[in-house]
Amino acid sequence: MLKRYMWLLTLCIWLICLGCSSDSSIQNNQLQVTTTTGMIADIVRQVGGRHVEVTELMGPGVDPHLYKASSGDISKLEKADLIFYNGLHLEGKMTDILQQIGKKKPVIAVAEQIDKNKLIETGHHQYDPHIWFDIQLWKEAVQQVEQGLINVDPQHQDEYQKQAQQYLNQLQELDDYAKKQIELIPKDRRILITAHDAFGYFGRAYGIEVVGLQGLSTASEYGLKDVQRLVDFIVQKKIKAVFIESSVPKKSIEAVVNGAKAKNWQVQIGGELYSDALGGPESEADTYLKMFRSNVDTIVSSLK
Amino acid sequence: MSSFWIMLIGSLVASSCGILGCFLILRRMAMLGDAISHAILPGIVFAFLISGSRESFPMLVGATLVGLLSTIIIQWMKQNGVQADAALSVTFTALFALGVILISLYTRQIDLDLDCVLYGEIAYVQWDTWQLGDLNMGPRALWMVGGVFLLNLLIILLFFKQFKLTTFDPALAAAVGIPVAFFHYLLMGMVSLTTVASFESVGAILVVAMLIAPAATAYLWTDRFHLMLSLSILFGILSAIGGYLLAVPLDASIAGCMAMMAGILFLFSFLFAPRHGLVSKWWYQRKWYSKPQ
Repeated sequence: MLKRYMWLLTLCIWLICLGCSSDSSIQNNQLQVTTTTGMIADIVRQVGGRHVEVTELMGPGVDPHLYKASSGDISKLEKADLIFYNGLHLEGKMTDILQQIGKKKPVIAVAEQIDKNKLIETGHHQYDPHIWFDIQLWKEAVQQVEQGLINVDPQHQDEYQKQAQQYLNQLQELDDYAKKQIELIPKDRRILITAHDAFGYFGRAYGIEVVGLQGLSTASEYGLKDVQRLVDFIVQKKIKAVFIESSVPKKSIEAVVNGAKAKNWQVQIGGELYSDALGGPESEADTYLKMFRSNVDTIVSSLK
Repeated sequence: MSSFWIMLIGSLVASSCGILGCFLILRRMAMLGDAISHAILPGIVFAFLISGSRESFPMLVGATLVGLLSTIIIQWMKQNGVQADAALSVTFTALFALGVILISLYTRQIDLDLDCVLYGEIAYVQWDTWQLGDLNMGPRALWMVGGVFLLNLLIILLFFKQFKLTTFDPALAAAVGIPVAFFHYLLMGMVSLTTVASFESVGAILVVAMLIAPAATAYLWTDRFHLMLSLSILFGILSAIGGYLLAVPLDASIAGCMAMMAGILFLFSFLFAPRHGLVSKWWYQRKWYSKPQ
């Protein structure tokens, strides 16, 4: 009987050998940086410029809550000289892994260093991780990246500092632009309704009331009462538009639109906001600056 | 090195699950793994409410306790006359619902779901190492699933006769004085421990698949129980290694590819297994009827 299954055993061993044969990696003198989200990758591209090669694990449209590793992600982390991630539990259980890798090479959580008083606390010592929607906080993330790059590659310190400064200026311009645009919306209409509660910081920064349908997590269920309450709220406040996000299924917010229609109030779907990820290369939101501007424009044009 | 660890840990999970899967399939409780993967939701919520953190350890403790509890409830209901599949479904849906309710009551602002606080990712096992003092003991997952595998193997080998008899003929087992209920609970406890430890190390989909597919495949190849056990381990290992080799060129989810490989092996066996395969059945039938009477 052993003989009959011998060929299977041989196959197993052969397959193991095949799987273990190491893949050759191409080396060049650019700094290899890997990030989790596209927003952080964008910072690194702007600050690092021609000296870095950046790859992100979560590509366009990928919700970090729903991210699943592919086999290629192993080598992205393996070949990196430097890794940046968001932190504040945005990456979920992967945070453990990133901290472990941190014992061997520089791994930096761009959001963890921010003064906790500036963050939105969602529970006891638990903080809202979506800090990229407050430009002032995001600037601190940029500084983290700048410092991280300089520590690993001090040779190009001047260039990193210069590029970081330029990027910080661009962010400040964007912040000013957003403030000016939001001013165009009448005060009592500054209410942002979305399916996914990622806009807490955005609302706080620009004085917009943010009402979400679900909790913070994309995976958690929303209650019947949530839908009901939201519909009543929309009808009562005469809200013109609700928003769908690129990384959340449209179904949940469409339920709300139909609910309002039943109560004779026409609420529009105000266009797509980017929440947890940048847009693809063909979209108008493939960098952080464009993504943020696109969100502001979408919100202003439908609520104004 | 990562590919070696992934294949080794995948194979260990597949082997543990393969052995237990044989018993589960024969007892018509194959969906137990899937049930546990849902039932442990309240466990992590309680663990979070008590410990106030989303660290892995409290989550694992909470999940293990509720996992054990759920298997005890299922077995208890089954022994008191509820159909196996009904007992299973009622328990896991009720517990899962309890978890959903708890989340919506107490922790709705916090990102707390199984995927992001409990389920591990097999792709990253090599980095999550166990540090004993200054000594690097290799991947933590290896110790978890390896330990569970050895424990399963030990218990099964020690009580092979008892397990076999209580699985195939509980009445006879009771008549010859084997504590049937004890062995049922023991097996359920092993399943719960194995699944929760494996969820934490490699994620849910792989465990649920490996608990069913390799054992079901082995069942198509043989009618002898000890052979079914060895074959299910073999098919499990083949799925783990083959799945990894499939995942690399595809750049796809490793656990997903391993589970799919297990499905492919099952499909192949379903068609071509020597006695129970569709093709061979058809072949024998044709031969039988074309024989001159």
